[in-house]
Amino acid sequence: MTALFNVLWANWPFMAKALAMTLAVSFGSMLVGIVVGTFVAIGRTYGGRIADIVLGFYVDTMRAVPVLVILVWSYFALPLLAGRSLSPFVAAVGALGLHLAAYVAETVRAGLTSVRPGQMRAALALGMSRWQAIKQIILPQAMVRMLPPLGSLLVIAVKDSAISSVIAVPELIRQTQVLVSNTYLSFQLYSFTMIVFFVICYPVARGVDRAYRRLAHLGSS
Amino acid sequence: MSFDWSVVWDGRYLFLQGIEMTVFLTVATMALAIPGGLVLAFLRLAPWRPVNWAAASFVEFFRATPLVLQIYWAYYVLPVIADIRLSAVATALIGLVCNISAFNSETFRAGIKSIRQGQVNAALALGMSRLQAMREVVLPQATMRVLPSLASTWVSLFKDTSLVSVIAVADLSYVAFKMRADTYRILEVLTAMAVLYWLLGYPQAKLVDWIHRRFKVTE
Repeated sequence: MTALFNVLWANWPFMAKALAMTLAVSFGSMLVGIVVGTFVAIGRTYGGRIADIVLGFYVDTMRAVPVLVILVWSYFALPLLAGRSLSPFVAAVGALGLHLAAYVAETVRAGLTSVRPGQMRAALALGMSRWQAIKQIILPQAMVRMLPPLGSLLVIAVKDSAISSVIAVPELIRQTQVLVSNTYLSFQLYSFTMIVFFVICYPVARGVDRAYRRLAHLGSS
Repeated sequence: MSFDWSVVWDGRYLFLQGIEMTVFLTVATMALAIPGGLVLAFLRLAPWRPVNWAAASFVEFFRATPLVLQIYWAYYVLPVIADIRLSAVATALIGLVCNISAFNSETFRAGIKSIRQGQVNAALALGMSRLQAMREVVLPQATMRVLPSLASTWVSLFKDTSLVSVIAVADLSYVAFKMRADTYRILEVLTAMAVLYWLLGYPQAKLVDWIHRRFKVTE
């Protein structure tokens, strides 16, 4: 125990930076996931048959291939095709974000289709454009209903950020490995990192549940 | 830039062995995690507080930490504190089974709780015994509700088995990473790996969608 405290005391700026990197990768990929996922869902729901098939293929592909594979492919193989290299951070946020986007898209699509079609027709009859109706009528109601699944996706984003250690993004797990190789305190350090992840993920999961119970009435129609 | 796809064909038996390991891990983990999840679910619904609490902590802990870290932990820490030496495959299996059991237990718990008490009461009022009511009324509906979630867990499990490559278990991804290092044909080997995962995973994802439609419960 004292050994662990000594190591952490001596290396706390190092670990603080690692924690910041974990959070940056998590929120970065969540942001990419929400933006891309929302547009994919809108495209699939209102964009017609061709858009539905093409975007559906993207979503199903991301659901079928492991994140690790997408991550490693984007970091090592994509630069060979594109002719320019990616930094590990950009590759991680991009790959994790595009993977997450598929799940966000499914969630958003379920939310959008859960709003009765009569509401869309009513908005159009009132003279709104399709885009206005989506933005002002459908999305706000769908958003509230999507909150619990999006909350669990945020937890998944934090957990998946750990996989970016494989391409040497200096996040918590990677830096724990560095400390372990210097100090041989594998048990203490891995357990410490485990607790850090739990302390981040568990309150998010619980907090989303609690917030949802307060907001649920806003989504009823 | 020139590509040399012959390395992929030359490594076909290695890829096949990798696929074999991936499939084995998926099937073995699910086979162990279904009973594991059932046990955890019943422990959480059992009438003893300390048991509830212990099962709940186990489930919450494994659901709120990354699987990669659980695998590292099982690989580097388990031998130190428990003084047991296991092969990498066994270690990977332990990590996966603990993780998936936690997720399955939530699925089972939700399935059991989703059947309204009124249905049991109605069955009893019709003269069924408690066991009959459980077997004829509750379990068939609970199974139908649990199946779609289990199917989704199956596909994420199939994908998550790739993470065992971090402790050098020779699954499809590890085999490909090793081949990449040996041949330097990075693009060809990694693309082949991604395509193989896609070929295996895409039908499963589609099957899950079908199960979700087929077993949609309407009371």
